[in-house]
Amino acid sequence: METTQVLGLVTGLMFGFALHRAGFSRCGLVMRGLAFRDFTMLKVMLTAIAVGMVGAAALATFAPEYAHLKVKSLYVWGVLIGGLIFGVGMAVAGYCPGTALIGLGGRTRDGLLAVLGGLLGAFAFILAYPALEPVLMKPLDLGKLTLHETLHLPYLPTALVMAAALGGVVFWLNRLERRARA
Amino acid sequence: MVTERVEIPTQAAYESATPSRSMLPPWLVWGGMIGLVQIFAIATVQPLGVSTAYPQLVGWLVDKVVPGFAESQPYLQKIGVKIGWEVMLIVGLALGAFVSSLLPGGRSTPACDLPNVFRSSWGRGLAAFIGGFLILFGARLAGGCTSGHMLSGIAQLALSGFLFGAAAFATGVLTAILLLKRANGS
Repeated sequence: METTQVLGLVTGLMFGFALHRAGFSRCGLVMRGLAFRDFTMLKVMLTAIAVGMVGAAALATFAPEYAHLKVKSLYVWGVLIGGLIFGVGMAVAGYCPGTALIGLGGRTRDGLLAVLGGLLGAFAFILAYPALEPVLMKPLDLGKLTLHETLHLPYLPTALVMAAALGGVVFWLNRLERRARA
Repeated sequence: MVTERVEIPTQAAYESATPSRSMLPPWLVWGGMIGLVQIFAIATVQPLGVSTAYPQLVGWLVDKVVPGFAESQPYLQKIGVKIGWEVMLIVGLALGAFVSSLLPGGRSTPACDLPNVFRSSWGRGLAAFIGGFLILFGARLAGGCTSGHMLSGIAQLALSGFLFGAAAFATGVLTAILLLKRANGS
Protein backbone atom coordinates (compact mmCIF):
# COMPACT_ATOMS: atom_id res chain seq x y z
CA MET A 1 0.00 0.00 0.00
CA GLU A 2 1.10 3.55 -0.68
CA THR A 3 1.64 6.00 2.19
CA THR A 4 -1.49 8.03 1.36
CA GLN A 5 -3.59 4.84 1.40
CA VAL A 6 -2.22 3.88 4.83
CA LEU A 7 -2.85 7.42 6.11
CA GLY A 8 -6.42 7.28 4.77
CA LEU A 9 -7.03 3.96 6.50
CA VAL A 10 -5.54 5.10 9.83
CA THR A 11 -7.48 8.38 9.73
CA GLY A 12 -10.68 6.46 8.92
CA LEU A 13 -10.14 3.99 11.77
CA MET A 14 -9.82 6.78 14.34
CA PHE A 15 -12.71 8.77 12.84
CA GLY A 16 -14.94 5.69 12.69
CA PHE A 17 -14.13 4.60 16.23
CA ALA A 18 -14.96 8.07 17.61
CA LEU A 19 -18.22 8.37 15.64
CA HIS A 20 -19.34 4.92 16.78
CA ARG A 21 -18.54 5.72 20.42
CA ALA A 22 -20.51 8.96 20.10
CA GLY A 23 -23.55 6.85 19.13
CA PHE A 24 -23.88 7.49 15.38
CA SER A 25 -24.51 3.86 14.37
CA ARG A 26 -28.10 4.40 15.48
CA CYS A 27 -30.18 6.42 13.07
CA GLY A 28 -32.12 7.92 15.97
CA LEU A 29 -29.25 10.15 17.05
CA VAL A 30 -29.42 12.19 13.84
CA MET A 31 -33.22 12.14 13.60
CA ARG A 32 -33.73 13.31 17.18
CA GLY A 33 -30.91 15.79 16.73
CA LEU A 34 -32.54 17.37 13.69
CA ALA A 35 -35.90 17.53 15.53
CA PHE A 36 -34.16 19.26 18.50
CA ARG A 37 -35.20 16.48 20.89
CA ASP A 38 -31.60 15.58 21.72
CA PHE A 39 -28.61 17.88 21.31
CA THR A 40 -25.93 15.16 21.28
CA MET A 41 -25.45 15.30 17.49
CA LEU A 42 -25.09 19.09 17.52
CA LYS A 43 -22.74 19.06 20.52
CA VAL A 44 -20.44 16.45 18.94
CA MET A 45 -20.43 18.24 15.57
CA LEU A 46 -19.87 21.74 16.93
CA THR A 47 -17.12 20.55 19.30
CA ALA A 48 -15.34 18.77 16.44
CA ILE A 49 -15.68 21.83 14.18
CA ALA A 50 -14.37 24.20 16.87
CA VAL A 51 -11.30 22.03 17.58
CA GLY A 52 -10.62 21.59 13.86
CA MET A 53 -11.08 25.33 13.27
CA VAL A 54 -8.42 26.28 15.82
CA GLY A 55 -6.13 23.48 14.59
CA ALA A 56 -6.44 24.42 10.91
CA ALA A 57 -5.74 28.10 11.56
CA ALA A 58 -2.86 27.31 13.96
CA LEU A 59 -1.26 24.99 11.38
CA ALA A 60 -1.68 27.59 8.62
CA THR A 61 -0.10 30.25 10.84
CA PHE A 62 2.73 28.40 12.60
CA ALA A 63 3.45 25.40 10.35
CA PRO A 64 2.17 26.24 6.87
CA GLU A 65 4.09 23.32 5.36
CA TYR A 66 1.73 21.00 7.31
CA ALA A 67 -1.48 22.90 6.53
CA HIS A 68 -3.01 20.87 3.69
CA LEU A 69 -6.17 22.97 3.58
CA LYS A 70 -8.79 22.47 0.88
CA VAL A 71 -11.48 25.14 0.66
CA LYS A 72 -14.41 24.16 -1.54
CA SER A 73 -15.75 26.42 -4.25
CA LEU A 74 -18.98 28.33 -3.61
CA TYR A 75 -21.07 27.54 -6.70
CA VAL A 76 -24.29 28.88 -5.22
CA TRP A 77 -26.95 26.82 -7.03
CA GLY A 78 -25.29 23.43 -6.68
CA VAL A 79 -24.29 23.93 -3.04
CA LEU A 80 -27.73 25.27 -2.12
CA ILE A 81 -29.87 22.71 -3.97
CA GLY A 82 -27.50 19.86 -3.08
CA GLY A 83 -27.72 20.92 0.58
CA LEU A 84 -31.53 21.01 0.48
CA ILE A 85 -31.68 17.49 -1.00
CA PHE A 86 -29.05 16.32 1.48
CA GLY A 87 -31.08 17.57 4.47
CA VAL A 88 -34.18 15.61 3.45
CA GLY A 89 -32.10 12.46 2.94
CA MET A 90 -30.30 12.87 6.25
CA ALA A 91 -33.61 13.12 8.16
CA VAL A 92 -35.23 10.21 6.28
CA ALA A 93 -32.22 7.89 6.59
CA GLY A 94 -30.99 9.11 9.96
CA TYR A 95 -27.52 8.96 8.48
CA CYS A 96 -25.09 11.08 6.50
CA PRO A 97 -22.55 9.50 4.10
CA GLY A 98 -20.05 9.05 6.95
CA THR A 99 -22.39 7.78 9.66
CA ALA A 100 -24.04 5.31 7.24
CA LEU A 101 -20.65 3.57 7.22
CA ILE A 102 -20.67 3.69 11.03
CA GLY A 103 -24.06 1.94 10.91
CA LEU A 104 -22.59 -0.63 8.51
CA GLY A 105 -19.49 -1.22 10.64
CA GLY A 106 -21.66 -1.27 13.75
CA ARG A 107 -23.55 -4.17 12.14
CA THR A 108 -26.93 -2.53 11.66
CA ARG A 109 -29.07 -3.54 8.70
CA ASP A 110 -30.11 0.05 8.06
CA GLY A 111 -26.49 1.22 7.86
CA LEU A 112 -25.93 -1.35 5.10
CA LEU A 113 -29.10 -0.26 3.27
CA ALA A 114 -28.13 3.42 3.54
CA VAL A 115 -24.66 2.68 2.12
CA LEU A 116 -26.21 0.71 -0.77
CA GLY A 117 -28.68 3.54 -1.43
CA GLY A 118 -25.72 5.93 -1.30
CA LEU A 119 -23.77 3.95 -3.89
CA LEU A 120 -26.83 4.03 -6.16
CA GLY A 121 -27.22 7.78 -5.54
CA ALA A 122 -23.56 8.30 -6.43
CA PHE A 123 -24.05 6.23 -9.61
CA ALA A 124 -27.11 8.33 -10.54
CA PHE A 125 -25.06 11.50 -10.03
CA ILE A 126 -22.24 10.23 -12.26
CA LEU A 127 -24.79 9.76 -15.05
CA ALA A 128 -26.60 13.07 -14.34
CA TYR A 129 -23.41 15.16 -14.09
CA PRO A 130 -23.14 16.14 -17.80
CA ALA A 131 -26.72 17.49 -17.66
CA LEU A 132 -26.46 19.16 -14.23
CA GLU A 133 -23.00 20.69 -14.44
CA PRO A 134 -23.75 23.45 -17.01
CA VAL A 135 -27.00 24.42 -15.22
CA LEU A 136 -26.24 24.16 -11.48
CA MET A 137 -22.47 23.95 -11.03
CA LYS A 138 -20.86 26.23 -13.62
CA PRO A 139 -23.01 29.39 -13.33
CA LEU A 140 -22.65 31.64 -10.27
CA ASP A 141 -19.43 29.97 -9.14
CA LEU A 142 -17.95 32.53 -6.75
CA GLY A 143 -14.77 30.55 -6.14
CA LYS A 144 -13.01 29.35 -3.01
CA LEU A 145 -14.21 32.06 -0.65
CA THR A 146 -13.51 32.11 3.08
CA LEU A 147 -15.07 34.29 5.76
CA HIS A 148 -11.81 35.92 6.83
CA GLU A 149 -10.55 36.67 3.31
CA THR A 150 -13.92 38.05 2.20
CA LEU A 151 -14.07 40.38 5.21
CA HIS A 152 -10.30 41.12 5.12
CA LEU A 153 -9.79 39.79 8.64
CA PRO A 154 -6.68 38.03 9.96
CA TYR A 155 -7.10 34.22 9.82
CA LEU A 156 -6.06 32.98 13.28
CA PRO A 157 -7.91 35.62 15.39
CA THR A 158 -11.07 35.13 13.29
CA ALA A 159 -10.85 31.36 13.76
CA LEU A 160 -10.33 31.74 17.52
CA VAL A 161 -13.34 34.05 17.87
CA MET A 162 -15.56 31.77 15.75
CA ALA A 163 -14.43 28.67 17.66
CA ALA A 164 -15.14 30.43 20.98
CA ALA A 165 -18.61 31.32 19.67
CA LEU A 166 -19.23 27.67 18.74
CA GLY A 167 -18.01 26.66 22.20
CA GLY A 168 -20.51 29.11 23.68
CA VAL A 169 -23.34 27.54 21.66
CA VAL A 170 -22.32 24.06 22.86
CA PHE A 171 -22.23 25.26 26.48
CA TRP A 172 -25.68 26.81 26.07
CA LEU A 173 -27.16 23.67 24.42
CA ASN A 174 -25.74 21.58 27.25
CA ARG A 175 -27.35 23.81 29.86
CA LEU A 176 -30.69 23.78 28.05
CA GLU A 177 -30.61 19.98 28.01
CA ARG A 178 -29.71 19.73 31.69
CA ARG A 179 -32.50 22.08 32.64
CA ALA A 180 -35.01 20.11 30.57
CA ARG A 181 -33.91 16.92 32.34
CA ALA A 182 -34.03 18.41 35.82
CA MET B 1 -51.77 2.13 11.44
CA VAL B 2 -49.82 2.61 14.62
CA THR B 3 -51.54 5.11 16.84
CA GLU B 4 -50.05 4.66 20.31
CA ARG B 5 -47.65 7.26 21.57
CA VAL B 6 -44.06 6.27 20.93
CA GLU B 7 -41.42 6.29 23.62
CA ILE B 8 -38.44 8.10 22.18
CA PRO B 9 -35.37 7.34 24.29
CA THR B 10 -32.81 10.10 24.42
CA GLN B 11 -29.07 9.75 24.12
CA ALA B 12 -28.87 10.72 27.79
CA ALA B 13 -30.95 7.63 28.62
CA TYR B 14 -28.46 5.42 26.78
CA GLU B 15 -25.57 7.10 28.48
CA SER B 16 -26.99 6.73 31.98
CA ALA B 17 -27.65 3.05 31.17
CA THR B 18 -23.98 2.56 30.34
CA PRO B 19 -22.07 5.07 32.47
CA SER B 20 -18.70 6.08 31.14
CA ARG B 21 -15.64 5.70 33.31
CA SER B 22 -14.35 9.14 32.40
CA MET B 23 -15.50 12.26 34.18
CA LEU B 24 -15.95 14.07 30.87
CA PRO B 25 -19.26 13.65 29.01
CA PRO B 26 -18.99 11.32 25.95
CA TRP B 27 -20.04 14.02 23.46
CA LEU B 28 -17.10 16.18 24.60
CA VAL B 29 -14.59 13.30 24.54
CA TRP B 30 -15.60 12.01 21.09
CA GLY B 31 -16.38 15.40 19.57
CA GLY B 32 -12.95 16.61 20.69
CA MET B 33 -11.38 13.41 19.37
CA ILE B 34 -12.96 13.96 15.92
CA GLY B 35 -11.49 17.47 15.97
CA LEU B 36 -8.04 16.01 16.67
CA VAL B 37 -8.49 13.45 13.85
CA GLN B 38 -9.32 16.43 11.61
CA ILE B 39 -6.05 18.15 12.59
CA PHE B 40 -4.17 14.88 11.91
CA ALA B 41 -5.83 14.63 8.47
CA ILE B 42 -4.97 18.25 7.58
CA ALA B 43 -1.39 17.84 8.78
CA THR B 44 -0.86 14.65 6.75
CA VAL B 45 -2.95 14.70 3.53
CA GLN B 46 -6.15 16.80 3.38
CA PRO B 47 -9.22 17.72 5.47
CA LEU B 48 -11.76 14.99 6.24
CA GLY B 49 -14.21 14.24 3.45
CA VAL B 50 -16.30 11.14 2.91
CA SER B 51 -18.67 11.49 0.01
CA THR B 52 -16.16 11.61 -2.91
CA ALA B 53 -15.26 8.00 -2.13
CA TYR B 54 -18.75 6.74 -3.04
CA PRO B 55 -18.63 7.65 -6.77
CA GLN B 56 -14.95 6.63 -6.87
CA LEU B 57 -15.85 3.20 -5.51
CA VAL B 58 -18.89 2.88 -7.80
CA GLY B 59 -16.82 3.95 -10.81
CA TRP B 60 -14.10 1.45 -9.93
CA LEU B 61 -16.62 -1.39 -9.51
CA VAL B 62 -18.68 -0.61 -12.64
CA ASP B 63 -15.49 -0.22 -14.66
CA LYS B 64 -14.56 -3.82 -13.71
CA VAL B 65 -17.88 -5.06 -15.16
CA VAL B 66 -18.19 -2.59 -18.04
CA PRO B 67 -14.64 -1.78 -19.19
CA GLY B 68 -14.30 1.80 -20.38
CA PHE B 69 -17.09 3.11 -18.12
CA ALA B 70 -14.75 5.30 -16.06
CA GLU B 71 -13.26 6.87 -19.18
CA SER B 72 -16.67 7.53 -20.70
CA GLN B 73 -18.00 9.50 -17.71
CA PRO B 74 -16.91 13.15 -17.36
CA TYR B 75 -17.56 13.14 -13.60
CA LEU B 76 -15.31 10.14 -13.02
CA GLN B 77 -12.61 11.77 -15.13
CA LYS B 78 -12.88 14.83 -12.92
CA ILE B 79 -12.62 13.06 -9.54
CA GLY B 80 -10.48 10.15 -10.72
CA VAL B 81 -11.33 6.49 -10.22
CA LYS B 82 -8.79 5.19 -7.76
CA ILE B 83 -8.44 3.38 -4.47
CA GLY B 84 -6.68 6.30 -2.79
CA TRP B 85 -6.90 8.22 0.49
CA GLU B 86 -10.66 8.84 0.16
CA VAL B 87 -11.70 5.21 -0.42
CA MET B 88 -9.31 3.95 2.27
CA LEU B 89 -10.83 6.52 4.64
CA ILE B 90 -14.33 5.03 4.25
CA VAL B 91 -12.94 1.49 4.61
CA GLY B 92 -11.34 2.70 7.86
CA LEU B 93 -14.61 4.34 8.97
CA ALA B 94 -16.54 1.07 8.74
CA LEU B 95 -13.66 -0.92 10.29
CA GLY B 96 -13.23 1.57 13.15
CA ALA B 97 -16.96 1.33 13.94
CA PHE B 98 -16.75 -2.47 13.74
CA VAL B 99 -13.83 -2.58 16.19
CA SER B 100 -15.66 -0.19 18.54
CA SER B 101 -18.78 -2.38 18.42
CA LEU B 102 -16.75 -5.42 19.56
CA LEU B 103 -14.97 -3.71 22.46
CA PRO B 104 -16.50 -3.23 25.93
CA GLY B 105 -18.99 -0.38 25.92
CA GLY B 106 -19.70 -0.83 22.22
CA ARG B 107 -23.19 -2.06 23.16
CA SER B 108 -25.29 -3.90 20.64
CA THR B 109 -27.33 -1.43 18.68
CA PRO B 110 -30.79 -2.02 17.26
CA ALA B 111 -31.25 -1.57 13.50
CA CYS B 112 -33.09 1.62 14.26
CA ASP B 113 -34.21 2.94 17.60
CA LEU B 114 -37.15 4.78 16.05
CA PRO B 115 -38.97 1.95 14.22
CA ASN B 116 -42.45 3.39 14.59
CA VAL B 117 -41.60 6.45 12.55
CA PHE B 118 -41.74 4.20 9.50
CA ARG B 119 -44.57 1.91 10.70
CA SER B 120 -42.63 -1.30 10.00
CA SER B 121 -39.15 -2.71 9.71
CA TRP B 122 -39.62 -2.82 5.92
CA GLY B 123 -40.66 0.80 5.84
CA ARG B 124 -37.64 1.74 7.91
CA GLY B 125 -35.30 -0.24 5.63
CA LEU B 126 -36.75 1.44 2.55
CA ALA B 127 -36.34 4.85 4.20
CA ALA B 128 -32.68 4.09 4.95
CA PHE B 129 -32.12 3.14 1.29
CA ILE B 130 -33.95 6.14 -0.18
CA GLY B 131 -32.36 8.48 2.35
CA GLY B 132 -28.96 7.03 1.45
CA PHE B 133 -29.65 7.74 -2.23
CA LEU B 134 -30.60 11.36 -1.48
CA ILE B 135 -27.61 12.16 0.78
CA LEU B 136 -25.12 10.98 -1.82
CA PHE B 137 -26.87 12.64 -4.76
CA GLY B 138 -27.19 15.88 -2.78
CA ALA B 139 -23.64 15.74 -1.44
CA ARG B 140 -22.13 15.19 -4.89
CA LEU B 141 -24.16 18.04 -6.37
CA ALA B 142 -23.01 20.30 -3.52
CA GLY B 143 -19.42 19.01 -3.63
CA GLY B 144 -19.32 17.67 -0.07
CA CYS B 145 -21.27 16.23 2.85
CA THR B 146 -21.37 16.65 6.62
CA SER B 147 -17.63 15.89 6.69
CA GLY B 148 -16.33 17.83 3.70
CA HIS B 149 -18.62 20.86 3.92
CA MET B 150 -19.28 21.10 7.67
CA LEU B 151 -16.56 19.39 9.75
CA SER B 152 -13.94 20.56 7.23
CA GLY B 153 -15.56 23.43 5.32
CA ILE B 154 -16.89 25.38 8.28
CA ALA B 155 -13.69 24.59 10.24
CA GLN B 156 -11.76 26.34 7.42
CA LEU B 157 -14.28 29.21 7.51
CA ALA B 158 -15.30 28.37 3.91
CA LEU B 159 -18.44 30.23 2.81
CA SER B 160 -19.54 27.15 0.81
CA GLY B 161 -19.58 25.19 4.08
CA PHE B 162 -21.82 27.74 5.82
CA LEU B 163 -24.28 27.75 2.87
CA PHE B 164 -24.37 23.94 2.69
CA GLY B 165 -24.87 23.66 6.46
CA ALA B 166 -27.72 26.18 6.46
CA ALA B 167 -29.46 24.48 3.49
CA ALA B 168 -29.06 20.95 4.89
CA PHE B 169 -30.30 21.92 8.34
CA ALA B 170 -33.29 23.84 6.91
CA THR B 171 -34.78 20.81 5.14
CA GLY B 172 -33.34 18.33 7.65
CA VAL B 173 -35.02 19.95 10.65
CA LEU B 174 -38.32 20.32 8.80
CA THR B 175 -38.33 16.69 7.60
CA ALA B 176 -37.29 15.27 11.00
CA ILE B 177 -39.96 17.23 12.88
CA LEU B 178 -42.66 16.07 10.43
CA LEU B 179 -41.48 12.43 10.65
CA LEU B 180 -41.37 12.34 14.46
CA LYS B 181 -44.74 14.05 14.67
CA ARG B 182 -46.17 11.30 12.48
CA ALA B 183 -44.64 8.70 14.81
CA ASN B 184 -46.47 10.17 17.75
CA GLY B 185 -49.73 9.53 15.91
CA SER B 186 -51.22 12.85 16.86
